[in-house]
This record gives sequence, structure tokens and C-alpha cells, in this order.
Amino acid sequence: MKISKSIYKLIIPILVIHISTISFAGVNELNDYYKTIRCLVCEGQSIQESDTEFAINLKEQIQKKYSSGISIEEIDQELIKIYGEEISFNPPKNHILLWGMPLIVLIIIFIFIRNKIRFFRRV
Amino acid sequence: MLTILFYTNLLKKVIPSSTSSLKLIYFINLIPFCLLVYAFSISDFTLLNVVENSYVDDPIFYKVTSAWGSHEGSILLWVFLINSFGVFFLYKNQTVEIHKNILFISTLFIVYVIVSSNPFTYVEANKNVLGLGLNPILQHFLFVIHPPTLFLGYIGLIIPFVISAHMLVSKNFSEKLFKEMLIWSKISWFFLTGGIVLGSYWAYSELGWGGWWFWDPVENISLIPWLLNTALIHSLQVSIKSNQLKLWSLNLGLYCFIASVFGTFLVRSNLIVSVHSFATDPLRGLFLIIIIAYLLAMTVRLNIKSISNFNEDSFNLLSRESFLLLNNIFFICSALVVFIGTVYPLFSEMILKTSVSVGAPYYNFAFNLLLAPLILFMAFAPQINWGKHEKKDEQIPFIIIFSLLVCLVSYYFSNNFYFALSVFITVPLFLKSILVLKNNFNKNISFYSQWLAHLSIGFFIIAAVYTEQFDYEENLLFEKGSTNEIKLQNNKTAIIKNIKDEKFQNYQRILVDLLISDGQKEKELSPSKNIYQPSGQVTNEVSTTNNLLSQYYATISTIESNKVGINLVYKPLINLLWLSAIMLVFSILLSVVKKR
Amino acid sequence: MKRHLLLPIVGLIVLIVSVIFYFNQSTYKNNSRDEVSSLIFETPDFYNNKLINENTLGEFYIINFFASWCKPCLAEHPLLMEMKKKGVKIIGINFRDDEENFKEWINEHGNPFEYILRDDGSIAYEMGLIGVPETFFILNKMTQKKIQGPLFYEDIEKYL
Repeated sequence: MKISKSIYKLIIPILVIHISTISFAGVNELNDYYKTIRCLVCEGQSIQESDTEFAINLKEQIQKKYSSGISIEEIDQELIKIYGEEISFNPPKNHILLWGMPLIVLIIIFIFIRNKIRFFRRV
Repeated sequence: MLTILFYTNLLKKVIPSSTSSLKLIYFINLIPFCLLVYAFSISDFTLLNVVENSYVDDPIFYKVTSAWGSHEGSILLWVFLINSFGVFFLYKNQTVEIHKNILFISTLFIVYVIVSSNPFTYVEANKNVLGLGLNPILQHFLFVIHPPTLFLGYIGLIIPFVISAHMLVSKNFSEKLFKEMLIWSKISWFFLTGGIVLGSYWAYSELGWGGWWFWDPVENISLIPWLLNTALIHSLQVSIKSNQLKLWSLNLGLYCFIASVFGTFLVRSNLIVSVHSFATDPLRGLFLIIIIAYLLAMTVRLNIKSISNFNEDSFNLLSRESFLLLNNIFFICSALVVFIGTVYPLFSEMILKTSVSVGAPYYNFAFNLLLAPLILFMAFAPQINWGKHEKKDEQIPFIIIFSLLVCLVSYYFSNNFYFALSVFITVPLFLKSILVLKNNFNKNISFYSQWLAHLSIGFFIIAAVYTEQFDYEENLLFEKGSTNEIKLQNNKTAIIKNIKDEKFQNYQRILVDLLISDGQKEKELSPSKNIYQPSGQVTNEVSTTNNLLSQYYATISTIESNKVGINLVYKPLINLLWLSAIMLVFSILLSVVKKR
Repeated sequence: MKRHLLLPIVGLIVLIVSVIFYFNQSTYKNNSRDEVSSLIFETPDFYNNKLINENTLGEFYIINFFASWCKPCLAEHPLLMEMKKKGVKIIGINFRDDEENFKEWINEHGNPFEYILRDDGSIAYEMGLIGVPETFFILNKMTQKKIQGPLFYEDIEKYL
């Protein structure tokens, strides 16, 4: 079963990559951050894309805070405190039903089909 | 009068038996939409729908388009398309049971049209009425073909739906029907992909937001049937080639259509906010809910019926079947993730009493998790044999090591993790396709179709990640008299030439001529703002200029008497993205054409 | 043999999720800030360059965001004048505006405000402003009511 071994070899790097994906930040931090802030007066736009007064002001304020040394995480928390969770396209992680869903769905489907593959079938 | 027409054909529906009567009913159902298009083309202002959505001075092209710009019109288009699909399907298959199902679903929608959204509401004729006009954002060539294409994709799924319903009820699992199902789901996939790409390109070139995918609810909703349909195409291969996963694909076939109807429901009922919103009317939502509930109930009933035989089939871990099943799992999971992400804000508002927005960060997280392994497998899975894989593939470790090397090199140069990751998952695919192509040059057309589709997915991912990670944006502010040249980050200069003010048939345009030069070569850009009559709505017209595969993308942000603000975005590799998308759309055509 | 385990496992997952979900519920709260931003008491008045005197302001007052470029602000302007006549204290905050235009606007239409602060956007940000006009009804430094968009007679009826 050499091939199955090589598949495991395949899976391990993927897992490693997945774990590291979560903690990585982009190059253009501020611009990327703007993309996660919803423009509340627009329909589904982020403030990065919008030219409304609301978005422009928010961008200016964030820029100001950022250059005075406040970290993105702190700015984000403050924004959520002021405008509510709705402001962020990135819902807080305590929405477990939302964030855990990919995993839960994978597990359920796996249980559902495991009998189809002889490898997992124990008679 | 037209309502009577509807009722008569409703009555006729009770007694369909022969092919010719089926054909007759289909054609009768086609009539209302044709009438609506005609009414729009002659600007018949005795119809309320025409008054609301069309304008006398619009060009004839847009007059016709307005027919499906409104909610009523688009539902009628839906009915029209169901029936045209029925007609085409009649040439291939004359099973009356299947056609009865199609007609039944079309009747549901006809009733929906009559009850809650009748486009043929009369108003007093009035000579002064000029019409309120089509939303100017929608006045674009792409918009003319985008909704019908997407609708064709949605409704194309009705054929797999009725076929699988028929097979599950009659327990007649003939290979011929499976093959037909595959062809129709491929056709629908072609239109669906085409529609999504067109819509995305429309958003990119028309909305002027500078992006091509926004995870907007409507986009998501078109993505769900697409993901399910992709899964269906893959699992049907297993059903046909190795006689397994039959119930799996049949049940999947049912859900594809449900997903597309559900998508329409979510958009039409205005439960979720989106760019595509139509006017709200609770009755509409309610009625669509009834249709969906009905279809869903039927589906679940069929599911329960078939579940006892569900685990009949089995195969080895290392076989084509198991990899296709794996592919199915990932696709269905992504569809579910998109679904949950779209519905979660609604759920949260109703049950948790807080409003949240689910956007790109969530989907990026989930799709990274689900699609990265899928794409890696995509490189190797098509070479695995049906049944049981015996041959050892010695290339795999080398390919992985090589792609890891390329990945590290690209990380070293670009210093961007996401790009390196995307390189890592796509390089095996490119390498493998070169190796495979060298070995088996004379395979059949369906092999090429599959290979082309997979390859374009690879290109697409590289391009998408690259544009998202390496684009940069600049806000240029030109003030009258003082500045008409601004130096850009990449050592080029933006020069403003002149500002034009032009009048057209139904709009006024303010156009800015802009030059980007690096000393020798010059690129022209001319973004504009259009002010439409009669609504006075202002739209931003994007101007782009190509630089091989990359693009400059300019919009006017502010325009006042003494200053002009230009938003300039440099989008690297964006053209590769569109190119690969087009490749993807047409790759499926290869395999359909061969079968014909 | 393991088939009959399928349902319990799925059930267990659902149970776990719903339990976690239930205990998390307490943190889901729309905690929009409802305290008045302290910046309001740190920014000097535009005309007399003094800070707001909290003693003369009293417990109840209204904060109104406006701008000369904003058309709906003009629509609600008469109502603000009306309230001023009735003795309601209004703090006007001029949001991201040109100084000349703003002066002209006040001269032309009248000044309904007790204090006028000019804001580059920081106060608006701290107050969670979405757009102009927006009006906050303040009691004991806490926002009682917030109206986004222009005021209508019904909104201010009970304060007249």
C-alpha cells in the first residue's frame, strides 16, 4: 500500500498549510482590512469599494488610529463596539454554528458515506 | 383576456397524453412572454409593467431587455424557459410521465404569475406617460444576456430533476436515462457557468467597485446550484461508467433544482439585502415558499424511499469512484457552506436578535479549507483507474516535491503566503497535465474536455489569488490649474488631458481623458459619469486599459468644478482570470458536442 | 453492524452544537455604544471658542449632526428652530464641511443650536454616525433615542 502512504504524505502538508493559513496577515494590511468593513449605508459594499461620505470618514478615522499606533485588532473591536457586529464582514468567532459548519458538515457526510468505501467498512 | 388563456391551458393540462398535445401545451405556455416582449418593444403604455420599466426614448434593444428587468417579467421569462426546455426535451425523450412533471412545475409558476405578479395589469392609456425607465445600471449589453443565461442554467436543472424523480418513482435505472441526465446537466452547467461569469464581468465592468466577486447574496445563490451541478456531473460519471452511486446522483439531481428555485425565492422575497433587490411584496415570498416547500416535500419523500438501498454500492479506497465521491463531498460541503453563510444573517436576526454580516473573510476561510485539497486531488484523481487502482504512480512524490520547491521560490520572491499556497496546489495540476498529454495524445474528446476544464480551474485560481493579493489602488486628486500630472507608485505618471460633457439620447455623460505613461508608452483611460433621464440617476462608467494580462481600472470618484478625483486600480493578471473562465465555460461544450 | 450508530452520532453532534450555541447566546448582544462621546465636551464651540458648560446644558439635550452640503438637513431645519423656541437645548455638530459654506448656511437659514462644534469626523465616528442628518436624544449622558435621517414632526412632538 505504497500509494496510500503517499496520500498520507499528501494530506499532512495540506493540514500544516491549513493551520498556518489562519494566522497569516496580508501585505497591504490596512487596505485588506477596509475590505472587511461593511459600508452600512450601501448595499453589500465594503468601505474599501464605496465612495459615500460614511465610508470615506470611516477610512479616514481608521487610518488616523492606525498611524497613531493602534493595532487592527483593537480598531476592529472598537468598531464593533460602536456600530455593532453588523459592521464587520468577518463575524465574531463565537458564532459557532457559522464557523464550525464546514467541519460539522464534513463529519456528517463522512459518517453518511463511510460504508460505501470498503476501506472504512468493518463487517 | 390573457388570464383566460392561462386558465384554458390549465384545463388542458389535465388531459395530456400524446406528444402532439404536449407540444401544443408547451407552445401555449410560450405565448405570454412573447406578448410581453412585444408590448415592451412597441412601448405599449396601457400595461403598468411597461410604464414602470421602460422609457419611450430608450433604444429598441433596451426596450426589449426591460421585459425581464422587472420581477413580473423575469418570472414570466422563467415560465417561458421551462417550457422551451420542455419542447427541446420532447425531441429527445417522449416519456409522458417526465413531461407531466415539467408541465406541473411550469403550472405552479404560472399560477404564481397570475396570483401575485401579473405583468399584464392594465392602466388607463395616457398620452403624457413616457415611462419611468429601466434602471440605468441595467442598461448594458452584458445585462441583456446575463439574466437569461443564468435562468437557462437554473431551469436547465429541471430536466435532471424530473428525470431523477421519474427514475426514483418508477425504479427504472436505465443507463439511457442516466446519459440523458448527464447531457442535460452539462448543458445547464454551460449556461450556469456562463451566466455567473457574465454576471461577474458585468459587476466588474459596470458597478465600478473594482472587484469581480463580492460574495453578495445573489452571487452566492447562483453559486450553490453551480457547485451542486458540478458535483452531479462528476457523480453521474460513476453512475454511468461503473454502475454505482446511482441513488446518490439521483438525489443530488433533485437538490440541484431545489437549490436554484430556492435561490430565486431568496432574491425575490427580499429577505436578504443585495444589489439585485426587487420591490418587496410578502405575497410573493409566501407563494414561492409554498412552491419550494412542495418541491422539497416531494424530494424528501423520494429520499426516504431510496435511503434503504442507499449503502448498496461499495468500492475501494483507491479507485476513481472513491475520488469522485470525495469530490462530491467537497462540492456539496462548499454548497452548504455558501448556503449557511447566505442564510445565517437572516437566522441571526430572527433568532439571536443581532445582525451580523457574513462576507469574504468567512467564505475565504471555508473555501480555503474545502477547495485546497480538492484542487490538489484534481491533479491526480483523473489518472486513477475505475474499480481498483493497481498501478503505482511513481511521479506523485516527485511532483509534490517539485511543487513545494516552486511554492517556496514563489514565496521567496513574492513574500505572499496566499499566492505561494495557490502555487503549491496548482503546480501539480499543470505538471501532471503536461505529462499526461505527452503520454496519451490521441484520447477522445471527452478527455480533452475534462482536462481543459480542470486546467482552466487551475489558471483561474492562480489568477484570482494573484489579482487579489497584488492589486494596488491609488486615489488621484487633480486640481484645476495647479496639477494635471501625478506620479504613481510604480514610477509612471498619470496625466489628465481634458474633460468632456456630452449629451446622448437618454443620458448625459461627463468624460475624463486620462493618460498613463512611463516615458515611452502611453495608455489611455477615459472613465465617465453618466446622468440618466428621466430618473436623474448617476452611474459610474469604468474605463480599463490592458497591459498584456493586467489591467488599469479607473473610475471617477468625485467631480466638481475645480477638482477631479480619479480612483485608479492596477489589477495584475485579471485578464487571465477572465480567459480561464471563458475556457471553463467552453470546455463543457466540447463533451456535449461530441455526444450529439 | 455500525449502522445503528449513525443516528446517535449525528444526534450527539447536533446536541453538542446546540448546547455550545445556547451558552454562547449571552454574548450575542447588540452593544452599540450609547454613552455620549467625551469628545463633545473637549471640542471648543465654533463661535465663542469655549468648551460646553455641562451645568447650563442640563440633563436632557439633543445632538444634531448636519452639514451644508446635505439637503435633508435643510428639510428638518424648521423643526430644530421650533424646538429652540420651546427651549430645548441642541448641540449642533457640523460634519465634514467647508468653513465658508457652513457659515453661509447658518447665516442664511438661522441658527437653532445652543453650541456648534465643527467635526472632521472623529466625533461622528465615536457616536456611531451613519450619515447626516442624524439626531441623538440624550438624557443623563446616555442616548435615549437615535434618529437616522431627517426628523419629522412626530419624532419631536413630545419635546415641544
